[in-house]
Amino acid sequence: MFESFNRIGESLMLFFSQAGDFTVISARALRAIPKRPFDLENLMRQFVAVGVNSIPVVLLTGLAVSMVFAVQLAFGFKQFQAQGLASSVEGLAVVRELAPVITGLMMSGRVGSAMAAELGTMQVTEQIDALECLATDPIHFLFVPRLLASLVMLPLLTGLAIYIGYWGGHLILVNVEGQSSYTFAHEFYKLIGTRDLRIALTKSMVFGLIIALVGCWRGYRTRGGAEGVGNAPTSSVVTSSLWILISDFFLTKLMLV
Amino acid sequence: MSAVIEVANVSKAFGPKVVLNNVNLAVEQGESLVIMGGSGTGKTVLLRIIMGLLAPDQGHVVVDGKNIQELKTEELFEVRKQIGMCFQMAALFDSMSVFENVAFALKRHTKMTKKEIAVRVDECLAMVGLRGSDNLKPAELSGGMKRRVGFARAIALKPKILLFDEPTTGLDPVMTDVIGRIILDLKHELGVTSITVTHDLKSAFMIGDRVALIFQGNCLAIEAPEVFKANPNPVIQQFLQGDADGPFLQDPPPPKRAPLPENNPVSTMEDPHT
Repeated sequence: MFESFNRIGESLMLFFSQAGDFTVISARALRAIPKRPFDLENLMRQFVAVGVNSIPVVLLTGLAVSMVFAVQLAFGFKQFQAQGLASSVEGLAVVRELAPVITGLMMSGRVGSAMAAELGTMQVTEQIDALECLATDPIHFLFVPRLLASLVMLPLLTGLAIYIGYWGGHLILVNVEGQSSYTFAHEFYKLIGTRDLRIALTKSMVFGLIIALVGCWRGYRTRGGAEGVGNAPTSSVVTSSLWILISDFFLTKLMLV
Repeated sequence: MSAVIEVANVSKAFGPKVVLNNVNLAVEQGESLVIMGGSGTGKTVLLRIIMGLLAPDQGHVVVDGKNIQELKTEELFEVRKQIGMCFQMAALFDSMSVFENVAFALKRHTKMTKKEIAVRVDECLAMVGLRGSDNLKPAELSGGMKRRVGFARAIALKPKILLFDEPTTGLDPVMTDVIGRIILDLKHELGVTSITVTHDLKSAFMIGDRVALIFQGNCLAIEAPEVFKANPNPVIQQFLQGDADGPFLQDPPPPKRAPLPENNPVSTMEDPHT
């Protein structure tokens, strides 16, 4: 009995100490953004790693998810003789939910895990200590470019996912279900307002923040050699995916009021 | 002469394991101190405390008149610019080339032009005998080359102090001698104050103006090499002779076996079917 209380207590203590550490490191990273020197070369490398190299993944997943959703909508609305609504709902779903969330989850797997693995390897091979010894703040040198790249690139990739989502819906609803191209184009944007674009971009920026901070933090706090480096990306993906889904609920609830 | 590095009453424990217990030592301007000791006796921990990478449980470290433990982050970084640290496994940035590794601190902390940086990197690589290897990546270098690039990176900012963490571990005897000579060259050419942690007796006596031995968390002796060699302390003598028997090891070593007679082969596998 006491042992189980003990275990619960230990887990709670671990949770709170990790949450505290994450908060402190995140605050240090955000505070380090305007500090000098600005490492433009490093920032550009991260823009390429986070943004440019992720384009194929975002295009493929965006296309696949929007096509599946269009198939489901066409089938569902056919039951009520309301096929015309499929395009409008497809547009709303892609812009508000599918594009930002799928992009966020894919980036958490592709970019967040890479950040955790890279920083984790640097930690166990003393490269982060070497940065400190060369009078360089590792939070400033490692976190800031990754954070900025994620904050800028996630909204852009989400925009790309919305664009490809349009063509995924077009492919199913126009080419397979027989809607006219003009009707689809008109209906797709019918229910979408500027507020929806704002929601999509805000969500994607928050997801970018989560992915970069969790990935870098997990890597930075890696301990225990190869096993630790192996655990860091897994833990980063699980934690950031969870936070993406939780924050998606609250952001949707807040921004739709 | 004034002490450039002063370690006063420093203790450090990791859980129940006491690694350093009230260590005191001072290194004077231009002096080269070699710290020896068994594996896991806290030599690297001491270097990390001097660099401010670890905080001691007790005591303090003063570098160039500044108490490391009392400095703010920015002030600590200013002190670190005066210290070059050479890591045991070099700790080169593996995503960067040799040139980028050596130029790293120059790009971040000086206003040198690209041309001036290139000249300084070339100078540093020449000092460690690696001129022309600028474009190689750390993965393409041997262990000895990595250490030497690590030295070049450490001296790029012209530091007053150099700290070497086991610079010869894992290298062959010839490369160990090369590294020893490079450290000696750096000492004479740059006139820096240095602390070298090593197990290698030959390079220790070659490099060191004074030699210290850490045993069970304490600094047993800090003496000139000749005095150290003659020190009658049984722990020091056992360490110098590399003998397993004696007070140096806490756990008793396996018993010594008598050598096999020469005409008796070690093992002859007999075929059971013949």
